[in-house]
Amino acid sequence: MAKEMIAMLLAGGQGSRLYTLTQKLAKPAVPFGGKYRIIDFPLSNCVNSGIDTVGILTQYQPLVLNEYIGNGQPWDLDRLHGGVHVLPPYQKATGSDWYKGTANAIYQNINFIERYDPEYVIILSGDQICKQDYSDFLRFHKEKGAEFSVAVMEVPWDEASRFGLMVTDDNDKITEFQEKPKEPKSNLASMGIYIFNWDILKKYLIEDENDPDSENDFGKNVIPSLLRDKREMYAYRFSGYWKDVGTISSLWEANMEVLDPENSGINLFDDDWRIYSRNSGMTGHRIGAEAVLENSMITDGCSIDGEVRHSVLFAGVKVEKGAVIEDAVIMGGSTIKEGAQIKHCIIAENVVIEKNAVVGAMPEGDKKGVATVGSNVTIGEGAVVGPDAMVSADVKGGDKA
Amino acid sequence: MINSNADSAMGILFPNSYDSLVPELVSERLMASIPFASRYRLVDFMLSSMVNCGIDNISLIVKRNYHSLMDHLGSGREWDLTRKKGGLNIIPPFAQKTVNIYNGRVEAIASIIDYLKRQKEKYVIMADTNVAVNFNFSKLLQKHIDSGADVTIAYTREEVPKALRDIDMTKKDLYYTLDIDRDGRVQKIVVNNKESGENNVSMNIYVIERELLIDQIRQAYVNGLTYFERDIISPQLDKLNVQAYEHDGYFARILDLNTYFAENMKMLKEENINALFSPNPVYTKIRDDNPTRYAVGSHAKNVMAADGCVIEGEVENSVLFRGVKVGKGAKVRNCVLMQDTVIETGATVEYAITDKNVKISAYKELKGTESFPVFVEKRKQV
Repeated sequence: MAKEMIAMLLAGGQGSRLYTLTQKLAKPAVPFGGKYRIIDFPLSNCVNSGIDTVGILTQYQPLVLNEYIGNGQPWDLDRLHGGVHVLPPYQKATGSDWYKGTANAIYQNINFIERYDPEYVIILSGDQICKQDYSDFLRFHKEKGAEFSVAVMEVPWDEASRFGLMVTDDNDKITEFQEKPKEPKSNLASMGIYIFNWDILKKYLIEDENDPDSENDFGKNVIPSLLRDKREMYAYRFSGYWKDVGTISSLWEANMEVLDPENSGINLFDDDWRIYSRNSGMTGHRIGAEAVLENSMITDGCSIDGEVRHSVLFAGVKVEKGAVIEDAVIMGGSTIKEGAQIKHCIIAENVVIEKNAVVGAMPEGDKKGVATVGSNVTIGEGAVVGPDAMVSADVKGGDKA
Repeated sequence: MINSNADSAMGILFPNSYDSLVPELVSERLMASIPFASRYRLVDFMLSSMVNCGIDNISLIVKRNYHSLMDHLGSGREWDLTRKKGGLNIIPPFAQKTVNIYNGRVEAIASIIDYLKRQKEKYVIMADTNVAVNFNFSKLLQKHIDSGADVTIAYTREEVPKALRDIDMTKKDLYYTLDIDRDGRVQKIVVNNKESGENNVSMNIYVIERELLIDQIRQAYVNGLTYFERDIISPQLDKLNVQAYEHDGYFARILDLNTYFAENMKMLKEENINALFSPNPVYTKIRDDNPTRYAVGSHAKNVMAADGCVIEGEVENSVLFRGVKVGKGAKVRNCVLMQDTVIETGATVEYAITDKNVKISAYKELKGTESFPVFVEKRKQV
């Protein structure tokens, strides 16, 4: 049975700029927004857009991600034909290889795609927070008679040189591609989301694979080849919320934006476009009689007796009496003990902050660092973790990090 | 835990038991699907307890108003009960020649006797669903096997609640206290005991061998008997070895609107949450709500709330179910607000229980008292 369009989700990146958060975790598995992981966004977008077949290309630290995806049931992707499939590199008769680049990852899974005989393939990336209707993107692709389309965002001109830019004519047809140019000719930045006609994609993947000089990357190799051959290439403008959460500060910022849906444009409270996730199964959260709670998101299983201001707390976080939390992202299962001060920082999963410890500080002047504590770390009693610190091992009581 | 048929048990739940005590809450549902503790339905507790003790063949014999229960349970996936063998089995009333829908357990079990005969498990564990509890069925079954009993009844030692003492025969739902001798054998079952004071109150949880249950139900059915406890067990206490098993852990029994209110309020205490939700998890239907948002200017103290709420006003001493909205300037105190209740801007609500999808309009006031909380029915707008 043929599928009109299937999705291939690139989830193999190491996410090295997230440092301690991705030491044991693939970037798409990084928790976000109280009860989600980054990958919930593209997966939910697929299901909400009517795409029921998704291949997830994994490579780096896939354990948590594999377990999280499971049979795909939380996203309604447990299907008889199609559904979600995790696709790590595997051994073939002719040998085996890691995924050498984004294009090579898809190339190595040509057989997977052929099983569904799709007309179109959408390539997604697993490190963006974005609610997007891919069916609208496909409608655009068909209307233009495109062979390749890329989703683009308008960015401010003064920032344009940080992005891969699509130069287009009046009909949105791509005439030139500039990768992080010094002198930008366009402010349409590629979101790294592509729709290909499958026959075209397959042809170019094989060609790219046979080119020994290629880095097997969509942006560096495949898209320039398409341009060289004057293929029908179009840019699809997307204007909703979009955030690449590839750095500690952008991840922190995106979490804070969740607290301000009216102004930030990221609304998780949208019944028409739900973001699905694997549920913690914990009981409702509890706010104690002496707790102070202000402008925050609290998830099932939390237990709050201290002060929480402008923060996002994931499932099962415990905040003891006298602890103060401000501008913080605290991931699942962490405990903040009595008198601890947690400010302007990211605390990963299952961290214990002992009594009277201090993590991070509110920004002052140029010091805007987001302190980060990696998963399963204990910060000892009275220890101090500075505003720029990146902690991935226990800090003893009274010590500074 | 490896289940061998030699000591395995199947479960039977009676989701309509004690419906008559909470007419307000069951007008469009049954006891088993009454929402409890911010994100659960009462049936979740018995089902999860059974599943956590390795019981994976569970039948629910329903009588009426069971749509909400079927919707909640679905295929049973959340309780890990979508099994090829056993799993979840909801048994609606069979369209019979007689219009009578069964009273008591005898007729209910008689209606599934052929099904019971085909099962493989050696034991049957029966329970009602009006109690929220993390029950250890493994321990109960072990005690039953070790003591060589014919029937084992679980009970709690407690001050008999007034709502139980007020039960009379017009309700059709009976309650039982047990006289137990030193060896733990039940000497006498007292029906609708009016005496106050501490007593052994039956939890209506029974273990019995499947074959024995089938025999007893057949005879009782032929003789036109109704109640398993009153008509089968009680008269045969000299012949059958009936043992008692004390549950000394936490439990919340729903007997009327007041106990419903009080038991929800008890969930505001951390020690009670910990007692009810451990050692094993309680499973429930997933709704994919976002986390709860406490907006700028909100104020919350002593609250239990599930995911999916948006709080812009003040909430104190209250239990909020999934998707509750409390608007700006609204005040909610001492309330139980079921799923998707909306309290609009500036409204004041005290000592109230609102059923699902209730809306309290802007600047309205709704106040009950601790002994008489106001109840607002499903989908009603005040």
